[in-house]
Order: sequence, then C-alpha cells, then structure tokens
Amino acid sequence: MEESNRMEEGTSAARNEAPLLEADGLTKVYEDGTLGLNKVSFTVHPGEIYAMLGGNGAGKTTTINLFLNFIEPTEGEARVDGIVTHKEPLKAKERLAFVSENVMLYPNFTAIQNLDFFAKLGGKKDYSKDDYRDVLMRVGLEEVAHSRRLKGYSKGMRQKCGIAIAILKDAPAILLDEPTAGLDPKAGREFIKLLEDLRSEQKAILMSTHDIFRAKDVADTIGIMNLGELVMQRSAEELRGEDLEKLYVQYMAGYMEKTPESVPHEEEPAIS
Amino acid sequence: MFKLLLDKELKEIVGTTKFAVTFGVCAVLILLAFYVGARNYDVSRQEYEGAVVENMRQMEGLTDWGEIDHRIFLPPQPLAALVSGISNDIGRTIDIESRGELRAEDSRFNEDPIFAVFRFLDLEFIFTIVLSLFAILFGYDAINGEKERGTLALSFANPVPRDQYVLAKLVGSFLALVVPLMIPILIGCVMLPLLGVPMDGDSWIRLAMVIFAGVLYFGVFLTLSVFISAMTQHSSSSFLMLLVVWIFMVLIIPRASVLISGQAVDVPSVDQIDYEKSKYSRQLFSERMNGMQEFIQENRNNDDHAQFMADMQEFMGQQQDDFDAKMLVLTEQLNEQRNNKAARRQKFALALARISPTASFSLAAADLASTSLALRSSYMDAANSYQAAFAQFMQSKNADTQGFRFMRHGDDEVEEPEEIDLRELPAFTYEPPDVSDAIGASLPDLGLLLLFNIVFFAGAFVAFLKYDVR
Repeated sequence: MEESNRMEEGTSAARNEAPLLEADGLTKVYEDGTLGLNKVSFTVHPGEIYAMLGGNGAGKTTTINLFLNFIEPTEGEARVDGIVTHKEPLKAKERLAFVSENVMLYPNFTAIQNLDFFAKLGGKKDYSKDDYRDVLMRVGLEEVAHSRRLKGYSKGMRQKCGIAIAILKDAPAILLDEPTAGLDPKAGREFIKLLEDLRSEQKAILMSTHDIFRAKDVADTIGIMNLGELVMQRSAEELRGEDLEKLYVQYMAGYMEKTPESVPHEEEPAIS
Repeated sequence: MFKLLLDKELKEIVGTTKFAVTFGVCAVLILLAFYVGARNYDVSRQEYEGAVVENMRQMEGLTDWGEIDHRIFLPPQPLAALVSGISNDIGRTIDIESRGELRAEDSRFNEDPIFAVFRFLDLEFIFTIVLSLFAILFGYDAINGEKERGTLALSFANPVPRDQYVLAKLVGSFLALVVPLMIPILIGCVMLPLLGVPMDGDSWIRLAMVIFAGVLYFGVFLTLSVFISAMTQHSSSSFLMLLVVWIFMVLIIPRASVLISGQAVDVPSVDQIDYEKSKYSRQLFSERMNGMQEFIQENRNNDDHAQFMADMQEFMGQQQDDFDAKMLVLTEQLNEQRNNKAARRQKFALALARISPTASFSLAAADLASTSLALRSSYMDAANSYQAAFAQFMQSKNADTQGFRFMRHGDDEVEEPEEIDLRELPAFTYEPPDVSDAIGASLPDLGLLLLFNIVFFAGAFVAFLKYDVR
C-alpha cells in the first residue's frame, strides 16, 4: 500500500513534465493497403511505464517500429523528447533504447563483446569490463556466463543480454517489444524489479506485451490495441479493482466501445 | 562509427568456426595448387628437354641434310603451372618441312588423356570454383542474417547511418576474407622458385596481376552475395539464389556461349578442309601424270639418256613447283576462310561468355600467364618464321633437298659422305608475348571484373538503403 502510494506520487510528478514519448495520430497504411495503425495517440512521461496490450497484429510492434523509424508513418508523428522520429531519426535514436522480442545478438561474441559493441554503437565509449559485468549481474546473468560465446546461451539468457544493452545505453526513453518472452518466472520477476528501478531513474518506458498480469503489476498506464487501434487507455489507478483480463477479452472481442481518451482525433477522416 | 562497424565485421567473420574450417581448406588447396603446378611444370620441362634431345639424337649419323626429320617443340610456360589455360590442349610438337603447312600435334591431354578427364588443380581452378564459393559462403547472409538474428534492428535502434553500416559490411567482409587468403598465396609464391620454376621479373609481374585479377573476381562474388542478401529477407532464400547464380556464372554461361556461337557461326572442320585439299591434290596429281606422259611422248626419241633425265628432272621440278604453288594458294584460301569464320565464332563466343565474371577472370588470367587462345597462334607464328629460316638453311645446304628428288645413276666416283653437323641447324626459340602486351590483352577483362564489382557494390548499397531492418 505504501509502495503503491509512492508509485502514484512518482507518476503524477512525472506527468507534470513534458512527455518523452508521444504518438500523435499515428497511422500506418502498408503498401498493400493493409491498415497497420489507425490514429493512435498516447504519451509516456519520464518515470512512467506504458504497457500496450493486444493480440497478434494489433499494432503494438508497428507502434514501436514507428518510434524507431524502421517504418515511416502514413499520417501523424512519433516524437521522442519532442523530436519527430521520421524527420530526425538519428537524433531521436540517441534518446532511445530498445529491447526486441527475439534478440539473438552475435553468437560468436561473448556477452561482454556484445555489450561493448552495442554500447559503443549507442555512443557510450567509456565503459570498462567491470561496468559490463555489473550490468550483466544486474539483469541476472551469472558471472560464469559473461565470457562465454552467446551461441551457447538460452533464449532467456540472450534476452537478459538484450536488456543489459538497453540499460547500458542509459537513454531517457526505452522501448520494449515483448521483453518477457522467453524469460522464466523468476527472471520475469527480476525483470519487473528492473523496470521499477528504471522508472525510479525517470526513464519513460513503452512496453508491448501479451502478459496482462505483469502489465497490471508494473504499468502506470495500460493501453489495449486491437486491429491497429488503441481501443482502451487507462491509468493503473483507474484500473484498480477492475478485472483487467475480462476487460481485455471484451475489448478484443469488440464488445466494448473505444474509450474517449483513446480517440483524440475522432473528427479526422479515416485513411483509405 | 565506421571503424567500430568495420572492427565488428572483421571479428565476427574471423572468429567463427566456419571461417577457421573453410579458410583451412582453402589454404591447403592454394598451397597444393602451387606445389602441384610447380611439379607439373618440372615434368613438362623435363619432357620438353627430353624431346629436344631425342629429336637431335635421331638425326645423328645422317650424311644428307635432305634426310633429316626435324621437329620443334613448344617449351612450357612458367605460369602455366598456375594457370594452365589451353597449354595442355594445343599440340606442342611440329614436324618442320621446308615448305607446306605446319601442324602442331601431340598435346599434353592427347598424350595423357587422364589429365583431360579431371583437368588440373591449378590456381585458376581454385579461384573460379573454390574461392567463389568461399565468398558466397560468407556473404549470403551478410544482411538478412543480421536481420534474422535481430542484430540489424538492435543496431539501427542506435544512431547508425545506413551508408556507413553497409560500407563497413562490404569493406569488412572483403578485408576479413581476402587478407587471410593472401597468406597461403604468398607462401605459394615463395615456393615457386624453390621448386624450380624460373621466375624472372616479368613472371612476377604476371603472377601479381593474376592474383589481382583473382582478388577482383573474389570481390565480384562477395559484393554479389551482399547485394542478394540485401535484396532478400531470409538467408535461405539468398543462399539458394546465389547457388543458382553461381551455377550459371561459373558452369553454364562459359560453356553455353561456346555451344551457342557454334550454332550461330558455322566453321568448316579441319577434316572438311583436308578433304577439299585432298580432292584438289588428286586432281593436280592426275594433271601432273598426264603432263609427264605427254613429256615422255614428246621426248621418247631423245637418245641422250643423261639429257633426257636432266630435262625430265627439270620438267618434274617445274611440275612440283606448280603443284606446290597451287596447293599453297588453295590451302591459304581455305585456311583464311576457316580462320575468318573461326575468329568470328570465337569473338561471338567470348563476348557472350563475358556475361559471366568467371569467363572474364579465366581469360584475363590466361592472357597474363600466356596460356590464352593467343598461345596457339603465337606458337604457330613462331613456327612459321622458323620454317622460313629452316627452308633458307636447307636451301643453302642442298638444293636437292627441296622438291622432287631423283636418284642419280651413273656416277663413277662415290665419295664417302660426311656426317652432317646438327649444330648448324637454326635453333627454334619461342618467346611468349611481352608482359606489357599480356597486361594490355587482359585489361578489357580486368575492366569488366572491376565493373561487376562496382555494379554489385552499388546494388548492395542502394538495396540496403531501402532495406526493411525490422
């Protein structure tokens, strides 16, 4: 209860600051005419964890790809610390860290070599081996594995390396695409603790996940996506006492109408 | 940033077991090619020297220059040890007569057909087959492999310019593969003089250029691999595509070009030419026999036997000269027609074959090693020049050795004939084209290889700028 109050205070304090991640009417229509994302808008402030829930093809990864400028929006903007990602992608990426669902990394490099390469790629050139070891320990990777090549790693161990890479970048905003996929329950719990630590460091975290329970545990805001639309967006406070699983199923099945706050540009014509 | 990406590329390639194994195999094959080539050159040189000695030995003891059966031989070229070209296919032995058409016979493959079945393991083979596959093996997943591992997305979640990334990928792969390959090649180069291959300054320049052509050829397959990898989403697709392209470039196009040109330009065979000449020869022989009968009829009342024989000899000499002149005209006509058609077919075949970088590399390497198609014509030119010198020599020695010969009867005094001095025979030397000419001849193919590199490099570059890194 005490912890919950502390989180709420932190979150409300964060919301007074400018958002670090902003999706503003993000729309993506693919070349074959498929609507990937339709006027999605949300913000993630420093010290806030935003969890995107949704089934396969709901648009969660598309949203993250738009923030990373891996694809360009058809309409709308994704902004990182106020920088429009498709206009100044390199500048925006300086402020972003990313953990993908299926990180294989370089199998012939050791964990430390992988960390060293990606840290330098992210502009962090002053880390020592001890720094790498510390962060690997922090994500729960045993010391004995630090100097082993990744080709012998399990999926969970590689995922931990991916998270370590994101931590090392020390970017103000972190994008996590299904970060708990491949993690065992213990590692999953450790990961949640890690997210809370990062939140306390005032990182803005946007996470896509299928895991409703972990989302409810850790997120400050939860958005449910379905068929490229943000059909629900509520704060953890608003969801307190609600059966999130039931809500999720109802939204996914289309039983529930979109919440007004998830549709900020209702009057704009739809992309054909 | 570029240095960081380049460094990663080098470590990523060189640090793999795949590299250790394939590099080990390639290194052994390269050293084997140098060793086998050097030994093969030694055998060829011994055969050549043996043939020259044997040729002289069998003429020892002759007393009449008209009785000699003289042959010349094509000396082995030092770089044929590494780029055999057509050196094993063309005839090396030519029977020298004072007049008449020269023919080169007894090719290496003719003497030892087993070599023709499997061919030699030379440096050209290593480059065209083994190293091109080596390049594909390390380039086919250069881009899409990174995507499959998730490292491409992770890399581009950082402020990494795409042009620098793909440039580092291309340069890094090239350096990581070519620099280590230079080690066995340089060891092989050192082995050559130690194994008895006479390497003068020109030979070293030629060898350096062959290796340069090989590096360009290797670069073609590497850039092509990166290009196709940047055009596809899955490494299995790019590997399959590259395998098909490799089969066409290395195995199909060069062979098909010869077949297609054969269909497009009809060149009469040597047998057809021989048949035409034989037919004409029979006709001339018949005319000559008629002429001889007429001569005998006209001179049958001549009682002076010696005068009759002298007239007869003069008449037959004229007949022979006439026959030779007519046959020469026909032969030259037929050969010219055939050569013109063969040249057209060859030009067409080579133009078609050069669609494939393999053909360009093989032709450039053979030009540089002086084992190209020009070897046959330059050998025949040298032989024809020698024939003229030989004819002049023979004429100076004994006018009777040329043309139709008659036994003389009735000489009262018979001197003990002296043994001929074979050292007086003009020596045959074959000089391959000058190194500058060889480089000049190889330049179009080197240019083509460079062009292939530039096109595939640019293709990989452009394809990657649009590549979906997700």
